[in-house]
Order: sequence, then structure tokens, then C-alpha cells
Amino acid sequence: MSSDSNLFSNRWLPVLLVAPFMLLIAVFFYAPVFQAFYWSFFLEQPFGGGSIFVGWENFARVLSDSEFWEAAWRTIIFMVTASSLAVAVPLILAVAADRKIHMSLPARNVLVWPKGVAGASIGVVFAFIFNPFVGVLAPLNNSFPGIWAPGIDGTDAFITLVAAHVWGGIPFNFVIILAGLQSIPRTMHQAAAMDGAGPWRRIFDVQLPLIMPQLFLTLVLEFTESVTSAFALIDTITDGGPGGATTLLVYKIYVDGFSGYDLSGASTQTAILMVFVIILTAAQFLFLGRRINYER
Amino acid sequence: MKISTLAAATALMTVAHAVQAADIEFWYGNTGNVETAIKAECDAFNAAQSKHHVTCVGQGSYEVSMQKAIAAYRSHNYPVLIQFFDAGTLDLMLSDAVVPVQDILPDVKWNSYIAGARAYYETSGGKLFSQPYNASTLLFYTNKTELEKAGIAKIPTTWEEVIDAARKLKAAGHACPFVTDGDTWRVLEQFSARHGLPIASKHNGYDGLDAEYVLNTTFAAKHLTNLVEWRKEGLVKLNADTKAGNYTAAFNAGECAMMEGSSGSYAASAKAFEGKYEITVGMAPMYQGYERHNTLVGGASIYVMKGRDQSEVDGAKAFLDFLRQPEQQMALTAATGYVPVTNDVLDAIAKSGEGNSTKYATAAIGIKSMNQPRTEDSRGIRLGFYVQFREVFMEETQKAFAGEQTMQAALDRAKARGDELLRRFEKTYKGVKLP
Repeated sequence: MSSDSNLFSNRWLPVLLVAPFMLLIAVFFYAPVFQAFYWSFFLEQPFGGGSIFVGWENFARVLSDSEFWEAAWRTIIFMVTASSLAVAVPLILAVAADRKIHMSLPARNVLVWPKGVAGASIGVVFAFIFNPFVGVLAPLNNSFPGIWAPGIDGTDAFITLVAAHVWGGIPFNFVIILAGLQSIPRTMHQAAAMDGAGPWRRIFDVQLPLIMPQLFLTLVLEFTESVTSAFALIDTITDGGPGGATTLLVYKIYVDGFSGYDLSGASTQTAILMVFVIILTAAQFLFLGRRINYER
Repeated sequence: MKISTLAAATALMTVAHAVQAADIEFWYGNTGNVETAIKAECDAFNAAQSKHHVTCVGQGSYEVSMQKAIAAYRSHNYPVLIQFFDAGTLDLMLSDAVVPVQDILPDVKWNSYIAGARAYYETSGGKLFSQPYNASTLLFYTNKTELEKAGIAKIPTTWEEVIDAARKLKAAGHACPFVTDGDTWRVLEQFSARHGLPIASKHNGYDGLDAEYVLNTTFAAKHLTNLVEWRKEGLVKLNADTKAGNYTAAFNAGECAMMEGSSGSYAASAKAFEGKYEITVGMAPMYQGYERHNTLVGGASIYVMKGRDQSEVDGAKAFLDFLRQPEQQMALTAATGYVPVTNDVLDAIAKSGEGNSTKYATAAIGIKSMNQPRTEDSRGIRLGFYVQFREVFMEETQKAFAGEQTMQAALDRAKARGDELLRRFEKTYKGVKLP
């Protein structure tokens, strides 16, 4: 036996300590997930009272549905654009805040505050900011009528969504990246400076390589989070419209299941989405994670 | 001996409990002034008698109310009475979760219900499944003050006249002559019904679950194409084209001059107009050359859910009886603009001496609209996954309004996607007969 297992004198104590949390996960995660997978093999009547086993038929139908693929494609576009921006923007801010520039200390605090804002609240605020008549882009519309119309133009609505997501992601990613930057010993900067490396050179050759673990973490979290957490924003800003242009998978599942009472269709899509997220995360660890050097 | 006394006492208490008050719950989905009116009715019922007590629980919207009802029913913890909206009718009928209201209350004179409000909630045999409650229908609203300013003396009644008026308004510098949100209920269902057009075969599904959508082949397709053209011309605006971002708000603020809207939004509009503009409300416009048929009932009706105690069902009956009274219906109409559902209410309004009062403005016109000559295609809509189809319709037509596809292509797509929903619904309820 290794020394680690001697940490607890009673062998049931660790189990007991973990049990409440495991119970919560079981009730709020495993049970619903199991239910979703179960329903995805049935045609389920909304009020119960009858369900018909159809095997893989639901999957065959969903996978041959062009609407599903369009929503999946939108999800991927959102994931790539929104999450890369949600890491890039905090990275720039963190690099700036890490330097001993004027106002960097208050800026660090101010940038963290939005973490306390719920997704739906962000949605409400951004819906207002990007309103074509009263928002910040309204003056643009006065000169070029109709150029900014998120209520009509799908691309504009999508941009609004990405912007809101990136804004909402700043605080957490900023904190992680800044912490990474601050843990780089000053001596490394000084050594690089003495070797004649300018500020830009030091960012690319010293800082970025050394905060790779932090960047990787934020990127992995962002990738998975952007798939699921866009819901609150879509629900408050666009309702999936116009014309379905912002209907990401997570929102489509909600609409099909809870507005349309199509429990089987929504469950099938949930199962597919979950497998997708698992594959994605696993792929990141397998291909990206390996290249990261955690030693310093 | 002692045990038998105890048993007797227990039995007595049980009986006493059964006779005594039933505390029942009623779930509804409305908000705003409608919610206020519903709560007032609940309070009035509780104050009027001491036998039963109803607790009215607002759920925030029709859809949320339905979601919660489904969850509650599945977990065997559901209310006795629940309000559902028109589009959920078929789901409820096939759910086996509700008892037809006419079975519970066989002695009520159900024929006193106006035909237009009945047809939607009837079985194929003509039995009423739920009690129509907050009934609305589509009406045509104008801002008479703005119309007169643009030199339009006569309130338009046909689409030709509406567009003619819209052109005059635009020429007079009005930015938003006619406003709509392109909602399925307004631009497709009510339009098709009053023009006598089906949206699906088998009389919109009344004759069987194997119906198919036909909306892309009827005159409704031409109308929707017209709307796209009129929007390009600047005569018709959508939600997103208005400053208010919402068509009723845009009309109420005076931003837009004409709209097709639910009678249920009348009270809010009239209040917003007070002292600023004159409002008119009439039947929704027709195309020239088409005979006018009835508009469909909208809003919602009340269902009695299955498997509750007799005392609770008694409470539910008492509450339903209460709501059916002309005075209660008048109060709801006055507060909201919803249309009365039984024929005796119009008489009661006339007798009250306030027949011409603005608070009853929607009553006569709404009933008149719903009581126009009917066809088999204007009874209502009985199509599966219909709520989901409404989403599909909106999604496809929005793309057409944005110019990404033609309206005809949008409707063809809506038909294809809609038929797929119908087939799946048919399969989900395999072997179930339409009541």
C-alpha cells in the first residue's frame, strides 16, 4: 500500500465525504443523461401513457435532417469564433495588465467584476446595446439605413451573440491567464531583456510559451462551455432567430423538447450533442494537451 | 369497542373532509393586465362561497405552463384545473391526462357557447373537451387620428384598401403604415380560416392524424408573397423594423398606424391611446372577391385533469360554473379585450346599459367575426406537434422576409418539414383514435 491511502484511518470516511457530492451529480447529471439516452430509442408521448421502441430510428432521422446539421454547423462556427475570441481578448488584456502600466491595478479589478453577471442579464444588456435604433450602432444606421439589423439579418444577430459571449467570458479567462503571467519569474523577463529581446519578442518567446497550460485550460473550458452556455444569450437576445440564424444545437434541443413537446427528438439530439462534446474534449487532450509542457 | 369508535370518528372526519372545502389549484399562463383580471376572478370566486377554495398560479406563459403541466403530470403531482392555449389542443386531447369537460358537467347548456369558440375544442362528435375561457380572435386595429391626418376617411376593410391607405400614409411621411410580427396565428391560421382556405388536408386534421400540409398551394401563399413585396415597398413593417421592436408596442406608441392583432391586446392599446389618438377596431381585412368566413378562436381554454378526488372535481366544477357566468365574462372582457364565449353575455352587456362603452368594444365585433359562415376548414386546427410547426413556419418565412429565399420556397420548406412532424406525431400516437 502506498502512503497516500493512509491519509484516512477509516476506509469508509473518504467514501462518506464524497458521497453527498456524488449523490448530487447522480441526481442532476447521470439520471437525466440516462433518461435522455433512454428516450432517444423511443417515441415518447409528452404526457406519458405510451412509448414505442424504435431502436436507432430517432438517430437515423435526426442525422438525416438538414436542420440538425445546419444547427450543428452553426454551433461549430460559434464555438470556434466565440471561444477563440474569448481567449484572445482576455489574453491581450492580461498581457497589458501584467505590465506595470498606468491604471493596470484598478483595471484588473474592473475586468473581473463581470464574472458576477448572469448570462441572461448579459443577454438583456447586449440586446439593448446592439439594438439598431437605440444601441451604439444606431448612428451607423442613420447614415446607411438598414446596415445593422440584427432582427432581420442573421449574420448581424450572430455577431451580437458572439460579442456577448466573448464579453461574458472575459473575467474568468482573464484571471486564469493573468495568474499564469504573474507566476513567470521576473528574472526571465530580465534575462530576455538583457539578451536584447524587445517587449513583443518577450511576449512570443517568453510569456506565451510559459502560459501554455493556462491557455490550454481556458481554451478547453471555452470550447465546451460555448456549446452549452450560449443558451441564456440566445434565449434573451435572439430567440434563435431571425430565420433560425442563431439556433445553435443547445437552443434547438430546448425548443424541440420544451416548446414542441417532442421529447424523443430532443433527447436524441441531446445524446448526439453530448457525444460530440466528449469527443471534442478528448481530442483536445489527445492532440493539443500532449504538446503542452507543464514543467517550468 | 374503543377501536370501533375510533374508526367511526375517522370515517366521520373523512366524510366531513369530503363534503368540506376542496382546495384546488388552477394554473394559467398569462401575464400583465390579463393576469390581474384572472387573479381578480379567483378572489371573487373565493369570496363568493366558502365551500371551495381555488389557488390560481401564474406560470409566466402558455408554453411554460404546458411544460410544467407535462412534468407535473408525469410525476403525478398536478393541479386540478389548467389553462392551455389553442395550439396545444390535440396534444391535450390525445394525452389521456384530461377529462372532457362535457363529461364532468353534463347538465350545462353547452350550446349557449358561441359556435366559433366551441369548434376548436370539440371532439369530432361535437363534445366539448375543455371550457373556453379567455377567447380571443384576430381583429384589425387602426389609429384613426393618423389615418385622417393622411386624408383617409374610410377605415379599410379589404387588403386592397389597407394597402391603398398604407401608400397614402407613406406618401404623407408616415414611417410605419402597417405593422405585423408575421406570427403563424395571424398571417396564416386566421387568414386561411376567414378566406375559407385549409392549411392542411383532412380539414386541418379533424378527420384523422394522416393529414398533410397544403398551405403552400392555397391563396395564403399569394398573400404571404404580397407581404414580402409590401415590406420592400415600405408599407408593411415587422417587429424588428420598428423602434419599439414589438408590433403591438409600436402600434400603441403611435409609431405604426394599422395592425392586425388579437382582441386580447385591445385594453392595452386603448389605454395607451387615451387622450392622444382615436382607436378603431374591426374585423380583419379580406381580399376582394373572397367570401368572408369565421376567424378562429385564439387565447386559451380550461381543462380538468384526470385522476383527482371527487371533492376536488366538485371544486373544479364550481369554479368553472362561476367563470361561465355572464358577469364574470363581462369583467374579463372589460379588463382585457378578450371576447365573451357564451351568447347570453352580449344580452347582459346590452342590459347593463354600457353596450357602447369602449371597454366592451371587442365583444360584439369579436363574436361577429367568429360567427361568420363556416366551412369544414375553418373549425380550427387539429394537427400534431403544431407548436413546433409554428416555429418552423416562423423560421422559414423570416428567411423569406430577409430575402434569403422566396416566400414560395419558404412555404414549400415549411410544408416538407411540417409533414415530417405530422408523420412522427402519427407514429408516436400509433393506434390512438382522434376523439
